[in-house]
Formats: sequence, structure tokens, C-alpha cells
Amino acid sequence: MTCEEAKNRMTDYWSRTLGEADKQEFSAHLAACEACRSEVSRVDALWRSLDLLPVEEPSGQMRERFYEMLGAYRQGLASAETQPVKRWWTMPAWQMAAAGALLAVGLGVGYGVRGGGAQPPGEVSQLREEVASMRQLVALSLLQQQSASERLRGVSWSYQVEPSDKEVLNALVTAVNHDPNVNVRLAAVDALRPFTGSPATHVTARNAVVQALPKQTTPIVQVALIDFLAELKEKNAAPELRRLVSDPDIDSGVRKRAEWALERMQ
Amino acid sequence: MTDSAVMAEVGAGQVARLAVLFERYHRSLFRYFISMGGRREQAEDLVQEVFFRMLRYRTSYDPAQSFTAWMYQIARNAGVDQVRKRRATEVVDIDTFGERRAEFVSSAPGPEESVSRGQDLALLRRAMDQLPDDKREILVLSRFQGMKHEDIAEVLGCEVGTVKVRVYRAIRALEQIYFTLEKEKVS
Repeated sequence: MTCEEAKNRMTDYWSRTLGEADKQEFSAHLAACEACRSEVSRVDALWRSLDLLPVEEPSGQMRERFYEMLGAYRQGLASAETQPVKRWWTMPAWQMAAAGALLAVGLGVGYGVRGGGAQPPGEVSQLREEVASMRQLVALSLLQQQSASERLRGVSWSYQVEPSDKEVLNALVTAVNHDPNVNVRLAAVDALRPFTGSPATHVTARNAVVQALPKQTTPIVQVALIDFLAELKEKNAAPELRRLVSDPDIDSGVRKRAEWALERMQ
Repeated sequence: MTDSAVMAEVGAGQVARLAVLFERYHRSLFRYFISMGGRREQAEDLVQEVFFRMLRYRTSYDPAQSFTAWMYQIARNAGVDQVRKRRATEVVDIDTFGERRAEFVSSAPGPEESVSRGQDLALLRRAMDQLPDDKREILVLSRFQGMKHEDIAEVLGCEVGTVKVRVYRAIRALEQIYFTLEKEKVS
């Protein structure tokens, strides 16, 4: 291999994309040529150090703006599909004439034909499914972000998904049990409410609230969960509530709220 | 699911699936525009514009084509168009796309300047800033965006061999600028 040929392979070498056969030939050349060896080594250090340059991160508003834009675009598409294009037959004079003729035909046909109610077109139901899937994606994505304010926005988005959505329910339960930020945990507790009213998820959601209570140590979150359990009149929570009432180390506000909840459940 | 398959779904009318591609690429695009000299707000606007154009031209995407190459072609055009809007009377090409870099780069020392790992990162950043735009762009695409040489060739409309030569020249130019700055610092 000549020095010229070696130079042609240096980019692949620095990019770690050099093929096995080329690599052997290239290494053999470097072993014999000090100038190329020095160049490869020097530039390789520079190439790798580019990794250390700080990475700029976009603001959280960028995601918000994207989803607003996507939503608006979809709405525009949907309304364009439902609005007829202006043609000569849409002009008022033609419409009047056509309406008269169609009325006469319709009256005649109406006597002989019994039709069912209008069904939503397939496109509309498909559109609804896509909107639901987009909302789910946004909520799940935001709930996994590093920033607590982003996760709070994820909790807010969860109100826009169908309460039968088990993936979002699981993400909220994870937030209630494990999120390091108390505000996110509190918001996630509230966001579980719609799920306790859905036939598809109410059992899972109620059990999740019962099981979340012993895992919490922050009084404000404990009280939020106790209130929720009292509202649900969830009898399965009674043992844990009694434990809280009898625990001398527990926060006095939490103890009183647990007593209150037990009375309310009876 | 591959990027191409997701984009094919978007092209077929499931436009909500664009959210998947947004989550995969908005950071990379943002960094591309920042590296090409944009301010934060401008870079965010341009990322938004790229995804909007993907929606508008969704039916023109050929799933046999590399998605990242298609996306960066859109990104380059969006960047050039933005400069063109600012300077309606001037002819604009990629060489002027990154010229606002100096406005973006802060003169205040960044956190990396206190770090010493063999290379002086503050100097390296300055050297990147001084690199001509076409050289900086090819380094950004190959080094920061991790694109294959084949995809870069598609974006730039040249041969793969040309891309390798241009990457080689760009990194050597960066090295020259870096050492010049280093000498200035010592003297």
C-alpha cells in the first residue's frame, strides 16, 4: 500500500468503518511508514475528542410545538376531507334545481326502502384511532423524560387518552410508586381517577392505588392516596389504613386522615 | 420498526406516526442546526420546519431511499431557505448557511473549558467555529450525526469516494486551525 492509498483509507479508519482486509493492509503500511503512523495517531486523537464537545439540548417547548403542529395539520386534513371541493354542481342555482329533483326521487324511493342509520365512515374511525395513538405516544414519551416538569406534562396528557389505555395506566402507576419528584407523584395519583371508572381498567387501577399506599413515605402523597381510597370506598385498603392508625412513628396528619377514611368506609 | 417503514406509514396517510420519527430525530436535527451556526430559537424553528416539510412532502418519500439522507436533504434546504428569507436580495447557498455562527457562539467560557483531557476543548470549539461551512457540515454529518458515507453522499449529491476525501480534508483543516489557535494561546 502506498501513502496515497493509505490516505484514502484514513477516513474509514477514523470512522471505524474500515473492512477487515483493508485494516490488515493499512496496519501493515502504518507499521512501515512513520509519517502516516504519526498522522493517523494525531488526527485520531482529535477525531475522538470531538465527542467531548458539549451537546446542546432543545427546550421542552419544541416538543409541545411539534405536537400542536401535528394536531393542527391532522385537523386540517380531516376538515379538507369533509368539505366538498367547489364545483359547478355546488353553485346555489344548480343546488336548488337538484334539490327539487332529488326530493321528488327521495320521496318516491323513501316509501319503498327502509334504510339503517348513517354509519361513520371508515376514515373517521381510523382517524380517531390515530389520534388516540398519538396522544398515548405523547403521554408515554413525556412520562419518561428526565425533567420533572416534562413528566408533569406527561401526566396532564394522560387525561387525553382513553381511560381504557393500559399502557398509560401502567406508566402512571410507575410514576406514583417510583417517581423521585413529589409533585409528579401527586399529579399521577389524581390522574389515576379516570381509570378507576373504566370497565377495562378499574380493577387494575383500584388495586394499584391500594398497593401504592404502603410504598409511600411522603405525608402529602399518603394523604392524597388515602383520600382517593376513601372516595372509592375501597375495603381492601382497610388493613393498611389500620396499620397507619396504629403506627406511632407515622405523621399525625396521615394518622388522622387514615382514621377518617376508615370511618367513611364503614 | 425501521425509520423507512414508519415514514412509509406517514406517506400512506397515518400522519400521527410522524411522532415516532420526531422522538427519534429531533435532538439530532437540533444539534445539526446549532452546529451550522444557528441560535437556539432559530434551530428549534428549523427543526419544526423540517417536520412540517416531511408532512407536506410525505408522499414523495421512497421507502427504498435512506430516511436519514432524505431528512437531511430537507434540513439543508430548510436552512438555506431561512437564510434566503433573511437576505432576499442575495444569492444564498450552503456556504453562507452557517455564517451566523459567530453570533451564536458565546464569548463566555463554557463548562468544558475547565476540563482537560488531552485536547483543549475550548480551543477545539473555536477551531470548529472557524472551519469553513462546507467542511464543518461534512464533519457534523459524519462525526456528530453518525451518518454513513453512503447517506452523506446522497445528501450532498456526490460520490462516496468524494465524501471520504472531503471528510479527510475537513479533519485536517480542523487540525491546522486547532494548532494555529494553540500556538497563539502559548505566545
